[in-house]
Amino acid sequence: MRKTLLLLFALLTISMPAMAGELSLSVAASLKEVINELSASYTKKNPGSTFVKNFGPSGTLAGQIENGAPVDLFIAANNQWMDYLKEKKLVDGANAKMLAYNSLVFAGTTTKKVASMNDLLKLDKIAIGSPKSVPAGEYAMTSFKNAGIDNQLAGKLVMAKDVRECLMYAELGEVDGGFVYRTDALLAQKAKLLFVVPQKLYPRVTYPMALTVKAAQNKEAKAFYLFLQGAEAKSVLRKYGFVLK
Amino acid sequence: MNLRIDAEKKQGSFLLQVNADVSGERIGIFGRSGSGKSTLVHLISGLLEPDRGEIYLNDECLFSSAKCVNLSPERRRIAIVFQQAMLFPHLSVKANLLYGYRRCRAENRNIKPETLITILKLQPLMQRGVHNLSGGEKQRVALGRAVLANPRLLLMDEPLSALDDTLRFQIIPYLKSVSEEFGIPYLFISHSILEMQLMAERIVVIKNGSLAETTTPDQLARTSMAQSPKGYLNLLHLADPVQNNGLYAYPWGHNTLLISDGEAKGKSLFELSSRDIILFKQHPEAISARNLLECTVTELFRSDVRVGVVLSANGEKFVAEIVRSAAEDLNITTGSTLFAAIKASSFRKLG
Amino acid sequence: MTLTPEDIAAIWLSLKVALTATALALPFGFAIAWLIVFRRFRGKVVLEVLINLPLTLPPVVIGFFLLLLLGKNGWIGKLLDASGIPIIFTWKAAVIASATVGFPLLVRSIRLGMESIDQQLIEASRSLGAAWYDTLATIILPLSLRGIMAGSSLMFARSLGEFGATIIVAGNIPGITQTIPLAIYDYASSPSSVTMALSLCMVSVIISVVVLIVHELLGKKLHRRSAL
Repeated sequence: MRKTLLLLFALLTISMPAMAGELSLSVAASLKEVINELSASYTKKNPGSTFVKNFGPSGTLAGQIENGAPVDLFIAANNQWMDYLKEKKLVDGANAKMLAYNSLVFAGTTTKKVASMNDLLKLDKIAIGSPKSVPAGEYAMTSFKNAGIDNQLAGKLVMAKDVRECLMYAELGEVDGGFVYRTDALLAQKAKLLFVVPQKLYPRVTYPMALTVKAAQNKEAKAFYLFLQGAEAKSVLRKYGFVLK
Repeated sequence: MNLRIDAEKKQGSFLLQVNADVSGERIGIFGRSGSGKSTLVHLISGLLEPDRGEIYLNDECLFSSAKCVNLSPERRRIAIVFQQAMLFPHLSVKANLLYGYRRCRAENRNIKPETLITILKLQPLMQRGVHNLSGGEKQRVALGRAVLANPRLLLMDEPLSALDDTLRFQIIPYLKSVSEEFGIPYLFISHSILEMQLMAERIVVIKNGSLAETTTPDQLARTSMAQSPKGYLNLLHLADPVQNNGLYAYPWGHNTLLISDGEAKGKSLFELSSRDIILFKQHPEAISARNLLECTVTELFRSDVRVGVVLSANGEKFVAEIVRSAAEDLNITTGSTLFAAIKASSFRKLG
Repeated sequence: MTLTPEDIAAIWLSLKVALTATALALPFGFAIAWLIVFRRFRGKVVLEVLINLPLTLPPVVIGFFLLLLLGKNGWIGKLLDASGIPIIFTWKAAVIASATVGFPLLVRSIRLGMESIDQQLIEASRSLGAAWYDTLATIILPLSLRGIMAGSSLMFARSLGEFGATIIVAGNIPGITQTIPLAIYDYASSPSSVTMALSLCMVSVIISVVVLIVHELLGKKLHRRSAL
């Protein structure tokens, strides 16, 4: 009986969160593979550092940080959400950096011929991330408005909670296709990249990253931050199809 | 009406096995609770299927395991009057009454609603909701409903057990008149010997799931005399009383009975327990009991340690009950003359 | 309190889906409840377990199974696709999701109503010449009305709040399948729209309160007709 109690007590203390050397990352969903690979590599080199990773739509992640989530590093898929936190003085805006760039494409399993924005009108269902919180969806909506087809597309748009769910819908074939990043389309197995959205229709996809105010003095966090700007990070990003300039 | 039943039904640890052939218009089924009467009712009406056997009503096969016949309840035309009236709560009195009538084929509709409503005096109840009726009124409506279905046989499953005494004996005349008026035979199920005496002509006695005997109400009353709390109940239908010093004088054949609990006028049914009769070998000179009848012993019968003495007072028959030793002491034999003393208060008015 | 056109669309859609799901499930719910209460047959326990399963499964799991069944590659989905009837990501899928999730609640309520009917009333009906379907329509149905009403309101309310299965099988399509819960979820994922969600939440609460009041009133009215 005493032994079990001691064991329980030990387990409880060991599983206490916020260990020294544990970094909490909130990252846009489209960077999932890149950050997984980079954090694994970093841990190999720095065995004392471990990561708690949270991938999701940038808007939701920003909201979580605003509500006090103990995040050290935030990487968004557009400037809007980084600015949002900068305004609220929750991130170290002065040292924010651009991690990478991306482009928006339309990918799907539909057999219909789709090569341009106007061809979208022929389709039944199109998946996009929910523009209220997913940058990819916001970019897509902007391109619809600029192409003048946003009204005609009403009722066809299936809202996904992040860009990866969007990709999943496209893969499953329950929708004709979805708006994802080129890097996501490269990972797709069944969905084919049907066309690239003309850059003039939407602002450039950027991935701003910054340490939170809480982590700005954290040595571990700063070290990892620098690592992400280094040569190894750049090569991994390129490997997955991200653009660096 | 002829009912032939040779069937078996096992329910849990209880086994009902009945083999009977009864004929008549007013048959009683007598048994204690748990004897299987209810199961029997369900088998006859088709609500429960026997494990094996056969049931014939007037030579029509209702059930036969051998011939694979099992007529569903709605086709048997056997209506049931339940212990609790079981009126349909969501229907009006009228709709309840006509429920079976509407489902009866035109050629079978011998009984007209108006006639029945008159006979059962249901007219004042028609406007009242089903929820505003007293127990007795509900039972009358239930009876009317069953009869209006124009059944071949009425199954009355302890219809009076839930009613108090006054009500019970008010309903009995309705039950009988309806059967006589419309010619519908009935099976009357009960555990009350008194009810049997009033309602049945022949009785089937069920004990522990099987037929014990077929008998008459009188016989049953006699055999049960010793065990019954009130012995053998003499039932007297009397009428036209004359008031006499606070008592009521009723003619009974060539006799006169003085009864305290009488009615000012009209017909009444009285019950007199066999144990409330004191027998004298000789005429007692003065006696407080107001009734003293000179009678002849017509029959003697035994019931456990008691002796039933069947007496005839100017042709009117009744039964007195005494212990065996008393019979020996008084040297009572058939043909003996005895004097029967009965208090005016011993007569209980039933209705 | 302001409502955008999408919000209004979400409200209409929610009401439409909930009403349709309830209406669709009612005849089946009644039939199954009748089978369970009044019929004896082998495997009744299996049926009861199947009916109650959606009550204990997380709605997303139910949604997932429905997707497997009705999706392009599912058993039924293949047939539907061939006949050109799309279900996934249409409001029909939302109806099916709500109907599935609410079904056990419906059956349970109707069952309770039926079980409270005195067996002898049914015996009386049969002995008076009513066949089993006649008894079902004239005695069992009217007397189980309370249970039916309770079950329907419960199911309607549950459908209004259905999220997990709906989002999987009907998706979040504004104007087509975006019911109130899905719309609120959309708002809630974005920190800047949280206050917009409040308006829609208020509407949701008001609708629920109305449904509950109607349920209580109907219950009282029917109580006056209950068995003798």
